[in-house]
Amino acid sequence: MHLTLFKTILRDQLHRPWLTLLLILSVALGVAVVVAVDLANASATRAFQLSTEVIVGKATHQIVGGANGFDDSVYRNLRLQGFRNAAPIVEGYAGAKELGGQTMRVLGIDLFAEPPFRTYITAGTNVDVNALTAFYTQPGAVLISADSAARYNLKVGDTLTLQIGTQKKPVTIVGLMRQPNEVSSRVLEGLILTDIASAQELFGLDGKLTRIDLIATDEQANKIAAALPEGLRLVRASEQADTVTQLTAAFQLNLTAFSLLALAVGMFLIYNTVMFSVVQRRRMLGILRCVGVTGREIFLLIMSEAALLGLIGSLIGLGLGMLLGRLTVALVTQTINDLYFTLTVSDVNVDAFSLVKGLLLGISSALLAAALPAYEASAVPAVTVLQRSDLEDRIRRLLPRLNVIGAVLIVIGAAILIFGQSNVALLFGGIFIALFGLVLYVPVVTIFLMRIATATLGRFGLIARMASRTVTQALSRTSVAIASLMVAVAVVIGVTVMIASFRSTVENWLAQTLNADFYITTPLAGANRVVTMDPALVEKARAVEGVQNIEVLRSVTVRGLETGDLRLNATQGGVARESRIFRSYSGDPSKIYEQLNAGAIAITEPFANKHHVAEGDTLTLLTDKGAQSFPIVGVYYDYSSDQGSILMSLDVYRKFWNDPKISGFSVYVAPSYDVNQVEDAVRVALSGNDVTVQSNRALRDAALVIFDRTFAITRALQVIAIAVAFIGILSALMALQLERTRELGTLRATGMTLRQLWRLTLLESGLMGAAAGILAIPVGLVLAAILIYVINLRSFGWTIFFTSVPEVYVQALVVSIGAALIAAIYPMVRLSHLQVIEALREE
Amino acid sequence: MVSANGNIKEAFIRFGNVTKTFHEGDQERAVLQGVNAELARGEFVAIVGRSGSGKSTLLNLLAGLDTPTHGDIFVDAINIAKLNDNDRTLFRRKHIGFVFQFFNLIPTLTVRENVLMTAELAGWKEADAQAQANRLLDAVALRERADVFPDKLSGGEQQRVAIARALCADAELILADEPTGNLDAETGAKILELLVQLAREKNKTLVMVTHSSEIAEQADRVLRMEDGKLKVGN
Amino acid sequence: MRRIIVVISVLAIVSIAAFFYWQSQQRAPVATEIVALQSAQGAEGFARVTEPREMQFPQDHGPHFDYQTEWWYYTGNLTAEDGRRFGYQLTFFRRGISPGVVTARASDWATNQIYFAHFAITDEKNNSHNEAEIFERGAAGLAGASGEPFHVWIDNWSATGSNPDASAVKLLADDAKMALDLNLNASKPPVVHGENGVSQKTETKGNASYYVSFTRMPTTGTIRINGENFSVTGDSWFDHEWGTTALGENAAGWDWFSIQLDSDQELMFFQIRNKDGSIELLSSGTLVEADGSTKYLKRDEVKISVLDTWTSPVSGGKYPSKWRVEIPSANLDLTLTPLIADQEMRVSFTYWEGAVDVKGTSNGKNVRGQGYVEMTGYGNARGDVGY
Repeated sequence: MHLTLFKTILRDQLHRPWLTLLLILSVALGVAVVVAVDLANASATRAFQLSTEVIVGKATHQIVGGANGFDDSVYRNLRLQGFRNAAPIVEGYAGAKELGGQTMRVLGIDLFAEPPFRTYITAGTNVDVNALTAFYTQPGAVLISADSAARYNLKVGDTLTLQIGTQKKPVTIVGLMRQPNEVSSRVLEGLILTDIASAQELFGLDGKLTRIDLIATDEQANKIAAALPEGLRLVRASEQADTVTQLTAAFQLNLTAFSLLALAVGMFLIYNTVMFSVVQRRRMLGILRCVGVTGREIFLLIMSEAALLGLIGSLIGLGLGMLLGRLTVALVTQTINDLYFTLTVSDVNVDAFSLVKGLLLGISSALLAAALPAYEASAVPAVTVLQRSDLEDRIRRLLPRLNVIGAVLIVIGAAILIFGQSNVALLFGGIFIALFGLVLYVPVVTIFLMRIATATLGRFGLIARMASRTVTQALSRTSVAIASLMVAVAVVIGVTVMIASFRSTVENWLAQTLNADFYITTPLAGANRVVTMDPALVEKARAVEGVQNIEVLRSVTVRGLETGDLRLNATQGGVARESRIFRSYSGDPSKIYEQLNAGAIAITEPFANKHHVAEGDTLTLLTDKGAQSFPIVGVYYDYSSDQGSILMSLDVYRKFWNDPKISGFSVYVAPSYDVNQVEDAVRVALSGNDVTVQSNRALRDAALVIFDRTFAITRALQVIAIAVAFIGILSALMALQLERTRELGTLRATGMTLRQLWRLTLLESGLMGAAAGILAIPVGLVLAAILIYVINLRSFGWTIFFTSVPEVYVQALVVSIGAALIAAIYPMVRLSHLQVIEALREE
Repeated sequence: MVSANGNIKEAFIRFGNVTKTFHEGDQERAVLQGVNAELARGEFVAIVGRSGSGKSTLLNLLAGLDTPTHGDIFVDAINIAKLNDNDRTLFRRKHIGFVFQFFNLIPTLTVRENVLMTAELAGWKEADAQAQANRLLDAVALRERADVFPDKLSGGEQQRVAIARALCADAELILADEPTGNLDAETGAKILELLVQLAREKNKTLVMVTHSSEIAEQADRVLRMEDGKLKVGN
Repeated sequence: MRRIIVVISVLAIVSIAAFFYWQSQQRAPVATEIVALQSAQGAEGFARVTEPREMQFPQDHGPHFDYQTEWWYYTGNLTAEDGRRFGYQLTFFRRGISPGVVTARASDWATNQIYFAHFAITDEKNNSHNEAEIFERGAAGLAGASGEPFHVWIDNWSATGSNPDASAVKLLADDAKMALDLNLNASKPPVVHGENGVSQKTETKGNASYYVSFTRMPTTGTIRINGENFSVTGDSWFDHEWGTTALGENAAGWDWFSIQLDSDQELMFFQIRNKDGSIELLSSGTLVEADGSTKYLKRDEVKISVLDTWTSPVSGGKYPSKWRVEIPSANLDLTLTPLIADQEMRVSFTYWEGAVDVKGTSNGKNVRGQGYVEMTGYGNARGDVGY
């Protein structure tokens, strides 16, 4: 590339800083969103891996058992047989008020078995010998990370009050853990380390272990597995970790898809900006062509400019993304904690790979978006024949072809959505393709809408007619702006309708299934976390006057032969009371509960979808009494977990598992009693035990709070998409005006007032906004339908009942037209500064 | 072929039955209807005619900016009518210097950069291009303004820069489209004098489109366009 | 007795060395750190050996939780059927962090005891010496000790009494490279060392231990080394020692000798070397006659001359490797030669403990014999920069 040639472009950029800024900003915004989401995902994943590394250490296998741990003789026997690469673990979760109320993982270890496995305290002089001695001998002695201690102003000798199950237990900090490496020290922040004896005492697991870590060859592992008592199983450590990461895969992918959507809208914007700059430079490009610059050189010129600005924008986007990442990581972590597993991510882990990815995405999308304008620039005729752009003619001639391509893309997208199974990445690919297909219809629909506008508005005078004609005549600019705004608004409609439908479905479900008057759980209860409560509390509550009935729940993780780890909910005899809405069942629906009491199980809808099982099938579960088959009698709706769960009668559960503990219970108040009074009385009866008593209403609200929190990040992304689209409309309007400077000058010269020109601009912009809004409604509905009937059903396994949200359509129109009108303000300001004489002189 | 001064010269440029038709909506309009002409090396030819007579179209075809619907245009034995866009551009870069009515300087380049750009595009070494640009800026008496941007120059000065640009790559053919049309009479006359003088000094072929019969009088030969056809003579 | 010094000295330095050690070896440094603490901290609350003790066997073969440190030490020289010579060492250490045992806690795993063990086999033919070390908490049945019945174990390493008075035991130990399964049967009654049953280490009252031995335990059984099994016979020596003791600040290391002669005599002698090169005055020993009678040997009754030295290529320590032991008062003149030169124990702390061959005269008659020698404080690397 000739240097002088490049100067023409670079100096031009400097002459129009706001345009340059707009392009850079559009790249930066898109990249920032992608990077932020990616960083959040990567941080969550990395945090999970690190905590796995810390928790699992170098273990190759693990021996795991039932919800209540297993007898420690298993470990003793291993040791006494001379197998020394084994470490006993007693593990649980506890809240710690002094640590900001976060849920901590309490890991009980045997110092002498640890060295081959984990290094957090054994590496070097992390923890001094006095601390280790206290740790080893003193009941309730714990180590926490030095960082946590610093953050919460704690020091050695301080007491922590651990919330374990229904009880509060004081422990003493005897030492602080440090890691040489910043990343791994972060993981320690979620960890309370204690001696295994203390852990047994804290969790009431005397004589029991929750896990044994092993470093074993396959041969050794097989031998050990063969000798394990019923109810225990040996798993590969990596397998355990994989299962957990898979939990969040769909969720994280959804986020990524939304972030890519923001980038896609950003691409429209880049297209607009580059097109704008090409339009502005037509004259200069024409001169260049005249003096012998080839079309190819001009193409390269525009592309290298886009690459350069794309690079700058991407770099800014990376910075912005890292800042934004702090916000998203909090949202993502919160959701993961709400829905999946306990995860401590206190900081954004800036992953080089995410950054490189963001950079490449930014530059390549800038190039992709600039390709068409650059091509147009290369086709700019030499200056002497400079006439009104023939691009519009070309576009119009292209229209039939665009429509055909659009139709093909829609068909392909639909095919992917129909046949794409449950591969979320593929399904989102399908959405993108179909959406792009729909976008290609924007020009033709715009022409049609403008015709209607001309016919209806035309009556209001020349200016109105001019406005609608301008939109049609400058189709190459306007249709892209309309399309980007339309996509953004359609996404908002789609997601809003989906979330609203989902929410009302969940609300209905909660209303129909939560029948008890109030619920007693432990403060730490949460999704996929096994919590344990003393069964004696049930009797205490039952003794309260006015309590008519109590239903006990035991919720544990068990192993299914075909399905891997799964959540089992066992409820007492009166299963029937807690009504479940069955999607499908075998046999007599009124007999389902009898069948359950006789040993059958029911499964939730996500479980059925995830594991491809249904009524009539059987599941084999590894019980404390060995492998047992359970027939499935029905599939019921459940929105509490995308992993699904199975339902069993508590009596059946206790028959096969040696587990007298419970996870919570619900209370039904006798008709003649006041619910609030009984609730208070139960509270009093259970005082001294730290239990959470939640009314039916409160529980429902709590569930919906989590629901809303889950979708918080989705909403945040929507806002960004709208912002990007807004800038798109703005730059399209600017391009339009610039292109028509002479025309506008003429209009002014021939007597049109500034006010009239403003009206013209507002009308044009408003018409574009209205077109985008009108188009967005059907597209948004299609999107909502896809999200509801395809994505959610296939990737999460939830049936959502479509709820129409009429106000969203009004909202869509208001947002589109509003955004367009606001975008018109700056061009209007510029109009006021229009120098009529100079405008006229322009070619 | 006989030139104005009577010497026999070999044909440098030859138009062979050139027609050009434009589509305007559904209608066709023939702008050139079989133009035949030959131009000799070093000749100064003026093309005159009314607006819409096709004179600018002819110039554009000669510049390789457009292609004829039918016919051949030979420049130095190359039929530019048969070249593709890219080859025409490369041809233009090497062989043609352009002077426009509206000067058409690149606003983001300095005076010197505007001039040397054509040499640079033609593949000159940077030092050579610089030296050539300086020489030409001396010739058009604008050396001292070499580092300002075009918008600081008067119309006459801008056109002198454009002349320097047209000559910088040592193109053999200088095309001028109403070069004085946007200037006052006095300045226009000076510009014309400069252009013709430089073209003759360097033995360039100069083809100029103009309305002005005064200018046409200075040409070696005048080609008159009427309704897309060439009338030889005044 | 000497092992007290092993433990205590080691403990003091390991806390410094542990970090470097961990980096190079990746082995149980936690335990050594905890153990190390004990030398730094006082032994408050623990009983001290100040008075003669009326030994009650077999319970006194068991643990004494009121005292801080205790070990059960088996060494022996074995011969395979084809005459191939082996030496072995199997030692169980107990370390109390606080006096007594933990009773008030709900968890079985709660404890204040640390157990660790050293196991080594010397193979003369292959000129090889392998060692292993394990640590375990003294709880949950993983490691422990009892007198009645006699049983000391860590994981699958154990010494188990085969008769009520613990004069017969079965030893089991197993590691990747080696294993042993031996039956020991004492041919003489237990010997109580020291003056009036108190083995004094320094002049400070309480810096002493109770020290009981079976000085000759004919042994049969099998050992496995590098996948090869050998039926072996020979003689073992058992020491059981406990106390709450620290060496004097002057001590640089010690040398300990146990010798079994074919005259059916046995000799134990230890000397504590001071930093100034002198020998601690309270170094002492015991001579056991064929009839089981014992004679207390004072430091000035025994003359030990070093005839040769060996430098460890690993630790860099320069150890004596041949001795002449003269005891004019017992009419003994013996020369001790290691079975192989390199019997250095490279575990959490480095020392030398190995089988020796003995030749010489007793009461003017030629005698032959065998024994075990322990030396600490010679290395200048790692754990034995003497104290």
